[in-house]
Amino acid sequence: MTRTRWTLAAALAVVLPLAACGGDDDSSQAPSTDATEASTAPVEGSLEGSIFISGSSTVEPITAAVAKLFSDANPNVAIQVEGPGTGDGFAKFCAGETDVSNASRKIKDEEAATCADAGIEYVELKVAIDGLSVITSAKNSAVECLSFTDLWALLGPDAIGRNNWSDASDAAVELDATLAGKFGKIHAPYPDAPLTVTAPGEESGTFDSFVEIVFGKIAKELGIEDDAPRPDYTASPNDNVIIEGIAANDTSLGWVGFAFVEENLDVVKPLQVDGGNGCVEPSPDSIASGDYPVARSLYIYISKSKLADSAALAAFVDFYLTDEGMSVIGTGEGQVPYVPLAAADLEATRAAWAAR
Amino acid sequence: MSIATPDRFGAQSAASLTERLTGARRDVRGRIVEWILLSALGLSLLILVALVVNLVDRAWPVLDGRLGDFLSSGLDASNAAEAGVWQAIRGTLTLAIIVAIVAFPLGIACAIYLEEYAGQSRIARLIRINVRNLAGVPSIVYGILGLTIFVKFAGGLTGGRTVIAGGLTLATLVLPVVIITASEALRAVPQSIREGALGVGATKWEAVRSHVLPSAAPGILTGTVLALSRAAGEAAPLLLVGGITGLLRTGNQSIWQQITEGGFTSMPVAIFSYARQTGADFQAVTGAASLILLVLVIIINGLAIWLRNRFESRW
Repeated sequence: MTRTRWTLAAALAVVLPLAACGGDDDSSQAPSTDATEASTAPVEGSLEGSIFISGSSTVEPITAAVAKLFSDANPNVAIQVEGPGTGDGFAKFCAGETDVSNASRKIKDEEAATCADAGIEYVELKVAIDGLSVITSAKNSAVECLSFTDLWALLGPDAIGRNNWSDASDAAVELDATLAGKFGKIHAPYPDAPLTVTAPGEESGTFDSFVEIVFGKIAKELGIEDDAPRPDYTASPNDNVIIEGIAANDTSLGWVGFAFVEENLDVVKPLQVDGGNGCVEPSPDSIASGDYPVARSLYIYISKSKLADSAALAAFVDFYLTDEGMSVIGTGEGQVPYVPLAAADLEATRAAWAAR
Repeated sequence: MSIATPDRFGAQSAASLTERLTGARRDVRGRIVEWILLSALGLSLLILVALVVNLVDRAWPVLDGRLGDFLSSGLDASNAAEAGVWQAIRGTLTLAIIVAIVAFPLGIACAIYLEEYAGQSRIARLIRINVRNLAGVPSIVYGILGLTIFVKFAGGLTGGRTVIAGGLTLATLVLPVVIITASEALRAVPQSIREGALGVGATKWEAVRSHVLPSAAPGILTGTVLALSRAAGEAAPLLLVGGITGLLRTGNQSIWQQITEGGFTSMPVAIFSYARQTGADFQAVTGAASLILLVLVIIINGLAIWLRNRFESRW
């Protein structure tokens, strides 16, 4: 029995130091305070406090990258960044749980009402642009450009059951007669090929943006309520899964964030999109200039009540909007692959922050 | 060798019986079944090998280039070159310790009551069935439970979305598994062991404590540690109760503050977080993190086997 007890004690002795490690601090990685980071805060490195950021998983990499730079310069500030989704983020934000909410769309009226009920005021800051790419397989040479009208015929609420591109041709012609080219020329008749759709699911911000940008206006024009896409497609919140789904079928169709396409040009082909002003190729330039019609802005929302309590939070947002903070966005090595704001837009964001 | 067969079966019968006993090679059906079973085993092993090979292949850029750095860096979902698993490893270990502290005593106590004291009453049977059913409830449901109880309702005690809330959620998740395995270990103790103790005048508790529990210890330990490795592999409930996916910097918080107020992450949450990111770099990071979780779980299981062998008793 005694021997058994000693063994148990020894086993515990092995486990308990691990418990101590469990809470170990990682400030050992943070001390690299470069001289270039002098622009961060009025009192460099002396800030204390904690910042909790939730919200869009699309914006999460940008905010995390900025937070990392900020944290390197201010090792005493605890920062947590997570990305459960824009809607979940606002739910936490309006419950007063988070300081900053990342968002891949503007706050919805009902979310704003929740915030107002809880007495939470906020500042909305546009920080980057995300282009949505309409994509097909790289092997698909039959299609080069689709207009919003085409997309409605192929992916819109009426498109349910259209399992061949050509099934949508008649509907597109009919729709074109009604819309009179307001949302771009149609490219019907479509090729006689199977239409397999892989795209983000309802829980994804990319889904919301696509519906809002492409379908919302057409639904309004047609005077119908339903602007949701056809339900019969393969849905995934994971952009890599969507890329795989698109690549797996030669005549597939779907949409995904622009940054994800750039890295997968060998298997998927981004289509030109016509929103009423002709076909435009998605590119960083065409997205930043606003010519490419399927692009969305990315935002951060900052809680005003938390700002009052935390000097660290204000310093963090200040840093976010500096040129250094914004330098995390781009397509270079180690950068987050979204489209940076145009100079005028960045100035507008800085002005909105200054006027809080 | 001749075989005596009653006359009514005839000589043919005797011949076929002799053949069956001696001519295993002609047992075609038996051979086929054996091959099917063997190929099932082979297929399972092949899948396992393919998994490991695929992981190593994916993870190679990280394993080869910056393994030490990878093991010592924190969570970073924005830059694959700086991403690491240190915070995730220690988060998983902290969670495992909380699970061990909470779920093991509670689960073993429940099992002792159910096996040794409760008897065969209708209620006891109902509870046993329910415990078995609870063990099959999907983990995400426990996540919702943890969010409601440990984060929202008891947020004042747990500190909200902290490692404590996460650990308690995982403890609830594995509690039925602990109860079931401990119950089975207790049931496997021969009745004579109890009778021996009771026969020399021991009370029920004395018999349980000094005879039944030591005999059942190896089985209980194995079961509990396997439950621990299940807890170490769960991501879904932790995502609900606040596992951090993007970046976790602890600032100047003390260890105690980090546990009671700060955020946490764990290996499966980190893997989820890295798998969501795009690009080949993050695929390598995801693969490496998966391998490390695999190694962690193997270590935990190895510990279970070692403990079982150590405490193995014979009767």
